Amino acid sequence: MNKILLFAGLQEKAGKAELQLEAVNKSIKEVKELLKDSYQLEEIDTSMAAVNEEYANGDFVVKEGDTIAFIPPVSGG
Amino acid sequence: MAERYSRQERFAPIGKEGQALLAEKHVLIVGAGALGSANAEMLARAGIGRITIIDRDYIEWSNLARQQLYTEEDAASSRAKAKAAEARLKAINSTINVEGIAEEFDPENAELLLKDVDILIDGTDNFNTRFIINDAACKYKIPWIYGGCVKSDGISLSILPGQTPCLQCLIDQLPQDIETCETAGIIGPAVQVTAAYQTAECLKFLTGHSMSTHLVSFDVWGRQYSSIDVVKLKDPHCASCSDDAQFPYLKKEKGIRTAVLCGRNTVQVRPGRKENVNLERLAQRIEPFAGEARVNEVLLRFHMEEKRFVVFKDGRTLIHGVEDVQEAKKLYHRYVEA
Repeated sequence: MNKILLFAGLQEKAGKAELQLEAVNKSIKEVKELLKDSYQLEEIDTSMAAVNEEYANGDFVVKEGDTIAFIPPVSGG
Repeated sequence: MAERYSRQERFAPIGKEGQALLAEKHVLIVGAGALGSANAEMLARAGIGRITIIDRDYIEWSNLARQQLYTEEDAASSRAKAKAAEARLKAINSTINVEGIAEEFDPENAELLLKDVDILIDGTDNFNTRFIINDAACKYKIPWIYGGCVKSDGISLSILPGQTPCLQCLIDQLPQDIETCETAGIIGPAVQVTAAYQTAECLKFLTGHSMSTHLVSFDVWGRQYSSIDVVKLKDPHCASCSDDAQFPYLKKEKGIRTAVLCGRNTVQVRPGRKENVNLERLAQRIEPFAGEARVNEVLLRFHMEEKRFVVFKDGRTLIHGVEDVQEAKKLYHRYVEA
């Protein structure tokens, strides 16, 4: 099982900041697709992913217990 | 006056040596909204020798809840942010040099503005301008500090061209349909925390310390926090920061240019080249049709066809109450250019 953390705009869209997802052996790209389908998170395409606070690219494969954070760019100022 | 910076000098990583360095440095702040104001005030108080702050907008009542340099009087007179910021910063610290420029940061003026600048602080509210900043900073090898905030969220990253990933490495396409302060709201604390990270990084850099390679992201209301090392994101083929960079956002456009200011029901129209509009004369011409037309130090505002026009001296015009670019161009030709 994996913990998913959603930041900024993603959080509001999904209605929660944190969720549990079975993502073991899936790539970050696949996790993004999964979240896009289940929560209509279109913005996840332009969001950065971090696994256990380290940047992870689309090919990174998730392991049991990994925490994955998705951080969209923030524009206001 | 020797007392002035004593507490900051007592902070070991800065010390008297660091303070002396700060007095010799030049910081350019692009945008004088919430982040620009907060950064500028901290940097002016910290004794940065020279601060240049550029902004294309003017002060409205909806700015006062978080844009700390401005007053009710500024909003009532639609004062240009750059000019009001300059006056306030000079009042805060009369021993430093401050210049406010009421223009847009664009590919035309970027080179001149970055001349002699040690570091650039991002106080903008849109990615179009940030990508221009990024390309200019990469081209002239000036470090810059990205900051963004909306709702109770904030994000910041220091970018050292050639050494750390740039904005283009991080985000390979312009984010669309992004939340803005106008549509999703914003609270002061999100501004303050974001600006605090930016100013701290700026002070580190200016006093000879390394900046962080981590992107910091937080929600000051929900108490969420994340700090991610992004150094691996540096793209060796990046269009903006690699050896064969083309700086796509520095290409100069020709003719009339328009930009939709997202979430504000406003279109900006710019003439093909900067002009020197006689605002008084334009006001006299427009007044019989528009009713009251008001001029202040850098801009003219009037109402026409239920739209609100704000014309700057260089011809740049904000038309409020319109979102369609073609309609805005028509209005511009009809009332401003004629």
